[in-house]
Amino acid sequence: MRRIAEDIEIRAREELFINIHPIQPGGRLTPEAMKALISYGDGYSTCDWCQKPFRLDKIRRPPIDEFHAELAEFLGMDEARVVPGARRGFQAVVSSIAGPGDFVIVSALAHYTEFLAVEDAGAIVKEVPLNEKNIVTGENVARKVEEIKRETGKLPKLIMIDHFDYMLGNEHDVRGIAKVAKEYGIPFLYNGAYAIGVMPINGREIGADFLVGSGHKSFASPAPSGILATTKEWADKVFRTTQMVGDVTKRRFGIKEVEMLGCTLMGANLIAMMASFPTVRERVKYWPEELEKVNYFAKEFLRIRGNAILSEMPRKHTLTKVDTSKSFDIIAREHKRRGFFLGDELRERRIIGEFLGATRAWKLNTYGLTWDQVRYLAQAFQDIARKYGISVD
Amino acid sequence: MTEKAVEETFEALFALTDLRQLFRDTKPLYRLNDEQRERVRAILERVRQSLRIIEEELIG
Repeated sequence: MRRIAEDIEIRAREELFINIHPIQPGGRLTPEAMKALISYGDGYSTCDWCQKPFRLDKIRRPPIDEFHAELAEFLGMDEARVVPGARRGFQAVVSSIAGPGDFVIVSALAHYTEFLAVEDAGAIVKEVPLNEKNIVTGENVARKVEEIKRETGKLPKLIMIDHFDYMLGNEHDVRGIAKVAKEYGIPFLYNGAYAIGVMPINGREIGADFLVGSGHKSFASPAPSGILATTKEWADKVFRTTQMVGDVTKRRFGIKEVEMLGCTLMGANLIAMMASFPTVRERVKYWPEELEKVNYFAKEFLRIRGNAILSEMPRKHTLTKVDTSKSFDIIAREHKRRGFFLGDELRERRIIGEFLGATRAWKLNTYGLTWDQVRYLAQAFQDIARKYGISVD
Repeated sequence: MTEKAVEETFEALFALTDLRQLFRDTKPLYRLNDEQRERVRAILERVRQSLRIIEEELIG
């Protein structure tokens, strides 16, 4: 196949294979987003019609200002900004709220970028343990708040919890946690990296003070892209504008937002996000069908003797951790290709995205597959099992 | 004159992008139903039309 440049190959895996990579499916582009990349790829392409007050979210052509307003409404929040990835959303909130020596509560399954955002602000991470079902509950968060209060004499500055975690794709009790946060008067950051853009999410309904989403994980957008939304109460703090004055030139840049470092997500990434938005707005309504498909897959996958699912069941998310240590891993131990045999067999059936070489615990994601593709996928695993003498009930 | 050719270049690229989406929807077996086959026909016709216009505009 031809190359884009000398050493850059064309990426056609989404056209050629069923891709079950755990974190890629929600960020797969819509055709509209692909067209946006073709048309708006040049560097400052969003700045053609930028006029006073010279800020990205105020641009009217293309209607970036309108998109921001609609995005906030879609998420049930008052203000929204686009950011270069969810991590920049965490960073903006944490550095606005916490400082050196402050505590920030995160989940025991928190993404590493939440740790980094806290560290960047000089604050300290405190993890909430999971319950026996690998869920973060409001009760455990309250216990952690009490523990911090008892040990340090102060309350944490922020509670930052993922709705669905990246390890198991389990749903955590964000509503219960929001309630606890409110009782203690601690702001709550809802991490919807695996939720916003694939399922209906309303921040007001959840009781969140901040919502953070990922464009490239769940909003059919290129990387990096993300969303930070908040309420009227917090907008002035997180989206505060610069007060700085140059000592020599006396220059001020009044309208620029400090945490956003001025304009945030420019060019093709933003336009692609905007182009995907109408589809995203529609597709979240079909989340129950996505769950039907993943639960169908799980049922078929479990028919293979020895297979297990490590994520909560029934599935409430399409990202799922499976355990094949008592099925495919037994084959891998004797196979000349070791753990890579499973990938070889999948690839032969035009399926990719599994963790290369893994045959014990690994993750997959069925989001966005058609029913035909989900059935094909389930059948492929069963065919491989039969080929190697593993029984299928 | 060239503006038309540029416009048609985008039209063709966008039509081919729709074809790309069709590959994504039907992979890995690409068993197209009647509606999808009809869509392919329309896309190809759109591309051919754009190519004709580009040829006329730029080469004559």
